[in-house]
Amino acid sequence: MTFRWSRWSPQLALVPAGLVTLVAFIGAILWTIYLSLTRSRRLPEYEIDWSEWGRQYERLFKDDAWMISLQNLIVLGLGSALAIVFGFILAAMIDREKRGESLFRTVFLYPLAISLIVTGAAWRWMFNPELGVEHFIHSIGLTWVNASWLARPETAMYGVILASVWQSAGFYMALMLAGLKSINSEIWSAARLDGVGLFKLYTEIIIPMMKFTFVTCAILLSLGVIKAYDVIVAMTNGGPGQSTYVPAYFTIQALSAKGNLGFASAAAVLMLVITAAVFLPLVLLTAWQQRRSGATR
Amino acid sequence: MPRVSFEHITKTYGLMKVLDDLNLRIDDGDFLVLLGPSGCGKTTLLNLLAGLLDVTDGRIMIGERDVTDLDPKDRGLAMVFQSYALYPTKTVHGNLKFGLSASKLPRDEIEKRITWAAKLLQIEPLLHRKPGQLSGGQRQRVAIGRALVKNVGVFLFDEPLSNLDAKLRTEMRLEIKKLHDQLKSTIVYVTHDQIEAMTMATKIAVMNAGVIQQFGTPDEIYERPANLFVAGFIGSPAMNLRKAKLALANGKTEAIFASGVRLDVSDYPFVAPPQNGNEVIAGLRPEHFTLAATEGAAATFTVPVQYAERTGPDASAYFSFEDDLLALRVDPDIAARLTPGQSMGVSYLKGKTNLFDAHTGQRL
Amino acid sequence: MNDMTASHKALGAEIAVRSAPYFPRKKKVITGRSIAVIVFLSICALFFCVPLYVVIVTSFKTMDQIREGAMFALPNVWTLEAWDHAWNSACSGTRCEGLKVGFWNSVAILIPSLILSIGLSIVTGYALALWNVKWAGPFLFILFICAFVPFQIIMFPLISMTASLKVYGSIWGVAIIHAILAMPVLTLIFRNYYKDIPQEIMSAAVMDSGSFWKIFFEIILPMSGNILIVVLILQITSVWNDYLIGVTFGGMGGQPMTVNLANLITISTGTVRYNDNMAAALLTAIPPLVIYFFVGKLFVQGITAGAIKG
Repeated sequence: MTFRWSRWSPQLALVPAGLVTLVAFIGAILWTIYLSLTRSRRLPEYEIDWSEWGRQYERLFKDDAWMISLQNLIVLGLGSALAIVFGFILAAMIDREKRGESLFRTVFLYPLAISLIVTGAAWRWMFNPELGVEHFIHSIGLTWVNASWLARPETAMYGVILASVWQSAGFYMALMLAGLKSINSEIWSAARLDGVGLFKLYTEIIIPMMKFTFVTCAILLSLGVIKAYDVIVAMTNGGPGQSTYVPAYFTIQALSAKGNLGFASAAAVLMLVITAAVFLPLVLLTAWQQRRSGATR
Repeated sequence: MPRVSFEHITKTYGLMKVLDDLNLRIDDGDFLVLLGPSGCGKTTLLNLLAGLLDVTDGRIMIGERDVTDLDPKDRGLAMVFQSYALYPTKTVHGNLKFGLSASKLPRDEIEKRITWAAKLLQIEPLLHRKPGQLSGGQRQRVAIGRALVKNVGVFLFDEPLSNLDAKLRTEMRLEIKKLHDQLKSTIVYVTHDQIEAMTMATKIAVMNAGVIQQFGTPDEIYERPANLFVAGFIGSPAMNLRKAKLALANGKTEAIFASGVRLDVSDYPFVAPPQNGNEVIAGLRPEHFTLAATEGAAATFTVPVQYAERTGPDASAYFSFEDDLLALRVDPDIAARLTPGQSMGVSYLKGKTNLFDAHTGQRL
Repeated sequence: MNDMTASHKALGAEIAVRSAPYFPRKKKVITGRSIAVIVFLSICALFFCVPLYVVIVTSFKTMDQIREGAMFALPNVWTLEAWDHAWNSACSGTRCEGLKVGFWNSVAILIPSLILSIGLSIVTGYALALWNVKWAGPFLFILFICAFVPFQIIMFPLISMTASLKVYGSIWGVAIIHAILAMPVLTLIFRNYYKDIPQEIMSAAVMDSGSFWKIFFEIILPMSGNILIVVLILQITSVWNDYLIGVTFGGMGGQPMTVNLANLITISTGTVRYNDNMAAALLTAIPPLVIYFFVGKLFVQGITAGAIKG
């Protein structure tokens, strides 16, 4: 084969992206994994004591804040799942009742456009113990209601969940709405002719048909939960105490506030592992989806 | 105008061999049609010539140049695509001009060529429109124009008429033929439509399963198909192919069908002397039958009518013959009078029989 | 959603855009069920609007009125004092120069990061989709994985690298990191869009010109209008709304507006001026909200296409 410039220019065009991938992603990940095996504290150390290479991980699992973080991850995941349910209900209603579709869509989606710091600021203010919603509720006589969730360790996580749901429900609604619109409109007519009840129609026909949409939403939600950081900073800063720590927050705290590099790296590696656990089904799903669409083509 | 030759071309995709040691020579000014069913490798061959695909092995020559390792733009050819492949964001003028972007021509020469091509193809009023505003036929002309402006010796066409309706297709067929006569260029034209092949080509290469089955003029291909594939592929209704046994007796050579019908093939130009009892396949063109006992016919026999169909000026009649249908080209008036079940005497003209070896499928 | 053709091509958006065939609706008589649905939707809409309403009214109140505690009441006196304060003199850390510093930092981050990220990923997507390049499949797969990687796992190495390149702690550091982190997703979006360009157009272009860059600029780029706008909006909003990268790489001099805002609202010393906080929150939210209300559809396309960014 003779040298042909035309064959090399597309390859050369990939070099910057290839370098970025190689250095900033693959290299950086390996670097962090390596650091997690060392005793690095404020500054990186590159000696690995192979007799106790897992010491950072051991420390991690003895650390209360990390265990709280994992626990909160699950709580936040389950709680945020409400956004999918909520999103589906909204989408189903908007889809059936076309009146005001664009107005409702606009309203439900706007929180998505703003920064989570702003979202956090707004909800932090709403949950203000002295002047917030609680004050308002008490002032209309319902003094037994407790609405300053962020002030108490037991309820602070629920405040975060509420803000997350508020922020993301519209997104899942948009995905669900698209999924619903892709359903052949004849199904609705057929169901009406057969006299199928509305509830039965949804639970037995529509929702099974939207499997793929639901799975996608669930995976996107999980990935979002693992990455949740901004909203914690803006609403609670991890507090009260360490009650709203999540892995993303914990890791950055360990690095920037505590200056414990090896420890933070170990936490980051575990975050990657959790992500992979969520991500793997997505890869399989995509592969399956592609094969299916390839088969029907 | 250069000739084009493929020498020992092999093309594999992974483990699949699409073309194996293929040789083909296209002479100066020839209009070669690569004809074959879809998936036969004809488009692959065209793309190899264009340089859009790389050969696995072998050599492609254009004129005296080995172009095997050249970039498509440097091969000195132009191509017209099935979907026209016009650049949607450019005007017609821009499309033609981009066709010249590889050649470093002065601006006035570029404009001269565009004007020339536009005039030749009668697309001058469209020069400032975008492809989206053109009809199918107009787009086709622009696509041809984009090839013309390059002023090259070899034009490639990849099923260019298959997206047009029947009427436009006939028009464009004539137009492309006229262009070829005018420009005297070498054309390689891929199609699966035998009418296009028969009407336009000076040479046809019939391909199947990556192998060139026959290469010759349209008449040769039609009159003397080289094997069973070509015989069955060319012609509509297709040639009637029936098993028979050769019998040599009394200085006569006859093909005897299972039903006992005897076909006189004494005048057949056998390549090798025929042997008594040879198993052959006889190919009978539908249009070489007559619906009456004819003096000096190769065979005359009686068969029952199955059905007849008329396609405007033409008509075909189908008779049952040895558990299968025998297709005949008949006069439309007669076709209208045929009733199913009716027995008719038919004759086959002398000297029009094709004989193939029953085992190898090759012409005898 | 009928015109959501662009994100058809985009990763993860497959489910978002299978728009239904359009059926003209007959005029219906309002049924009881319709009324119930609309009432329910309206209540939900109210829930979505309440925080925005509270933030807006608070930002126009005086601190005196806020201390009375009637959160949902309209301002007695509408005043821009808090807005002025938030813009010009609110404190972020030890500096009390208002959010305008962060605003201009955000703008300064936005421009180079947009150019870098879109420039890098559009060319990569183009090469991967339309040219025969080696290892395209594995490379795409790696990009797909990179799009999901949590930021924390690459955070320290990136800090080290930017520090050694002397861009750590400046708007350039933030912009470069934005471009790097956005590259995988944007590349996949562009690549999926370009994959749908008919092969024959590329073949024609290769025969006509053969030049990688000439084909890109003359043929492909003019065909990318839709996807470019979608990506642009996606990138503007995500860079503007980012906090983590800004706070990590901005140091003292390159903090974007969100970092200023976060510092302002999490401050726990002295008396908290809630009206300033809310005005600051609104100031930060206005640019993306303006985009959202003007080109909402494109925003939704981008957000679904870039969904995996999470």
